[in-house]
Amino acid sequence: MNAVRIAWRVTRLNFRAQLEYRTEFLMMIAVGAIWQVSVLVFATVLLTRFTGMGGWNSSDVLLIPATRMLAHGLFVLVLGRIHALGRFIQEGVIDTYLVRPMPVHRQVQLQFFPTNAIGDLTVAAGLMVGAIARSDLDWTAGRITYLVAAVFGGMLLEAALFTVVACASLRFPAADYWGRWLEELLGTFGSYPLNVLPRAVGGLLTFGLPLAFVAYFPAAVLTGHGHDTGVPYWLAAASPLIGLLAYLAARLLWKWSLNHYTGVNG
Amino acid sequence: MTGSIEVRGLSRTFHTTVRRPGFAGALRSLVNPERVAKHAVSDVTFDVAQGELLALLGPNGAGKSTTIKMLTGILTPTSGTARVAGVVPYEERERNARNIGAVFGQRTQLWWDLPVRESFAILRDIYEVPKAEHAARLKEFDELLELSSFWDTRVRHLSLGQRVRCDLAAALLHDPPVVFLDEPTIGMDVVVKEQVREFLRHQVAERGRTVLLTTHDMTEVERLAERVVLINHGRLVLDGALDEIRRRFGSTWQLRATLADPHTEVAGLPGVVVVRREGRQVVFGPEGPGAEALSVHQALKLVIERYELAGIAIDEADLEDVMRAAYAQAEAAL
Repeated sequence: MNAVRIAWRVTRLNFRAQLEYRTEFLMMIAVGAIWQVSVLVFATVLLTRFTGMGGWNSSDVLLIPATRMLAHGLFVLVLGRIHALGRFIQEGVIDTYLVRPMPVHRQVQLQFFPTNAIGDLTVAAGLMVGAIARSDLDWTAGRITYLVAAVFGGMLLEAALFTVVACASLRFPAADYWGRWLEELLGTFGSYPLNVLPRAVGGLLTFGLPLAFVAYFPAAVLTGHGHDTGVPYWLAAASPLIGLLAYLAARLLWKWSLNHYTGVNG
Repeated sequence: MTGSIEVRGLSRTFHTTVRRPGFAGALRSLVNPERVAKHAVSDVTFDVAQGELLALLGPNGAGKSTTIKMLTGILTPTSGTARVAGVVPYEERERNARNIGAVFGQRTQLWWDLPVRESFAILRDIYEVPKAEHAARLKEFDELLELSSFWDTRVRHLSLGQRVRCDLAAALLHDPPVVFLDEPTIGMDVVVKEQVREFLRHQVAERGRTVLLTTHDMTEVERLAERVVLINHGRLVLDGALDEIRRRFGSTWQLRATLADPHTEVAGLPGVVVVRREGRQVVFGPEGPGAEALSVHQALKLVIERYELAGIAIDEADLEDVMRAAYAQAEAAL
């Protein structure tokens, strides 16, 4: 309980601190929103120029970037500071975390408030509302629950991927650059039904870098394309669970990596 | 709980890649990297008693910070053991963290964007310090470190001296029996340095805290430590009381001579060595330690007879010279 209270208190104080720099605060929100401009352009082109993509109609396709962006926005808000771990290592901040009686991962997340997440989430929420409004699906309680689970699963899967990069950074600080590449890759391919890509690329984005589980598979299951994804239906449907399991595995790797941390001079 | 530190055969080896010189060398390193083991700390053994302030000294890269990192639980040793207040730091990191305070002079443990007082309050919650106790301790620290004039300022706006004073307070707010200070006064002005030293003296003498301090400031060592441990190339080369080290390595006197002719060749004299020379200024010291050494009057006579001088002064050797002599002897022994 004390841990939750401390986390809430630090988050509140960090948020208040950001608010006091008004221009910086507003600029960061704008940056968060503008960062998603490619997705917005994709959505606009999709809806105005095409009737569909890869056998999906435009409204169904729209559910993919909406789910991915919402998952990404939540990741940035809740677990996104892991992305900055390379900098924290270089600055020696991790050393100060290690001498406090609090899990290092939690301290990383409480380092600052990610104002840009407000921009990310605002755009993502707008896109999701638009996607649901345009959708022909019957939004039953089951579908809504699955969508919510998919968003959280996507958030956890993205967090798992960046946690793995962070683990590498603990050993090789330059591994941080892989985080930027990963973010670029998620942003570039995360909005498409992966069946429009060559089979090998689709396979790579499913089993190599499991991007397909973030939004494509959940959207396929929701829109009735779950049997045409190239993987068994149950696997596509289990995407939220896979996100959770991937995150738990990444945290175990984090724990192991932290025990083998050698410091910036190592 | 006792606040002692026990270190037995502590070692830490890092494996690094040898950087070959030149572009061709860099390409060769890429294709065929040569890995070498770097022994940052080798078989170091020492104790620090409860309520003792020990200065851990050594040149840059000697292994001081790596030793502190192992004792604070940041790094796991390659071999050997350490116990800090009864806890093995690298096995029970969070439990060890409750028993220790740490200040790394170069970096802060405070929240950069928050006013200092907010950081203190967060640390109070993390360490679960009762509010009344926290307030009383903060009042005590304010009296010693004059924090209240800037503790409502954000950390990012503090000067270095203000920031380190706040870091010191933050490290001790949970009343730890053991404190690690890694170059805490680096870059500070003399007034603030003295204030920090007074604070540390108070923490050791009045509160009975065990302090392990690393510094390159010999004035600090003279004012604070009664015992020092010298470490060089990762090995412990000397462990003893400051007075004993002075007797063993320190000239009991020094002659600071100014040569009349700056081109004069200077060499040692029987029983007298040249400690250092800077232009016309030459510092002479006794050749042998302790009782074997020449008296300052005998040396003065020899120097005046041998060289034409524009001036001469008699000094006691400072601690820096003593340490230099100790390092030199240690180097020769390796």
